[in-house]
Amino acid sequence: MNVRHVKTGVILGGLVAFALASSATGQSTTKIWSGDPVADRQRLMKLNGASWADAQAKLKAGNAEAVAVNAETMTLIATQIVALFPEGSLTEKSKAKPEIWQKWPEFEAAVKNYGLQAEKLRDAARSKDQAATEAVAKEFGRQACGTCHTPFRVPPPQQQPPSPPQQLPPR
Amino acid sequence: MELRRVRTGVILGSLVALALVGCATGKTATMGSGDPVADRQRLMKNNGANWAEIQSKVKAGNVEGVAVNAEALALHAQRITLLFPEGSLTDKSKAKPDIWQKWPEFQAAAKNLENRAGTLRDQAVAKDAAAVTATVATFGREACGTCHTPFRVPPPQQQPAAPRS
Repeated sequence: MNVRHVKTGVILGGLVAFALASSATGQSTTKIWSGDPVADRQRLMKLNGASWADAQAKLKAGNAEAVAVNAETMTLIATQIVALFPEGSLTEKSKAKPEIWQKWPEFEAAVKNYGLQAEKLRDAARSKDQAATEAVAKEFGRQACGTCHTPFRVPPPQQQPPSPPQQLPPR
Repeated sequence: MELRRVRTGVILGSLVALALVGCATGKTATMGSGDPVADRQRLMKNNGANWAEIQSKVKAGNVEGVAVNAEALALHAQRITLLFPEGSLTDKSKAKPDIWQKWPEFQAAAKNLENRAGTLRDQAVAKDAAAVTATVATFGREACGTCHTPFRVPPPQQQPAAPRS
């Protein structure tokens, strides 16, 4: 009987404290995104991709300095990536591999590497050195995007190695 | 006697729950440098650079190219209020104390930037040159200004002439 009361108390106290703490922190963290981490991280990564595309176009046009704004945008949003991969956020729409959560420290390291590479690109662009910026950009796809996408993302169709011919199931 | 046990239980349960929430959210605290003034100035500097590029792209007739910069503004705008924790007013900061006195207005102003940047992005994606030009024409006043005018100490060149004493 007494034990049951203690148990009730534990549950009650836990619920109240949890609700209070969640609303206090919810204000500062979860509210900034939509609450759908897959949609949110796809939106973020789409901006990363678009920034990278814009940077490459500028480089081709010989405008290395203008790459800095894109690289800094990438650096800033890179800090948001890991928070958008909460455990269990693997839906049909997601291209994330379960390896992310199995090798979490490696995933964190890959994201950190991405941020550092983007900083390198930004600093090269800020120095207005076209050749130096091009040198960083040349390796960027493999050394910044690839170190995370290769182990942790299901490749998009066009990059997928040819799959063995599949037999359609008989009707 | 029984009441005391329930009370002990409440306290125990609260501590466990708080510890759990603390661990779960602790991760987010490491996202910034720990210096919110430096972090927000860096973010706003990139906002300014994206805005400058939006204007030059529009001038060059590259309406579609505005989308990437507008989306950067929209995503950065979501983070602004997080970078203004209460009491983060240093010598280097241009923030006005009114931010914390009128927090809901400040939140609304940041949200307004997010919404307007989103509108600009959508117009750019739609390659609607007239709409993009119109939004850009009022963006400084209606997106940047609604926050900077009430909540930021103006930079020297924009300061109204001080009355002579």
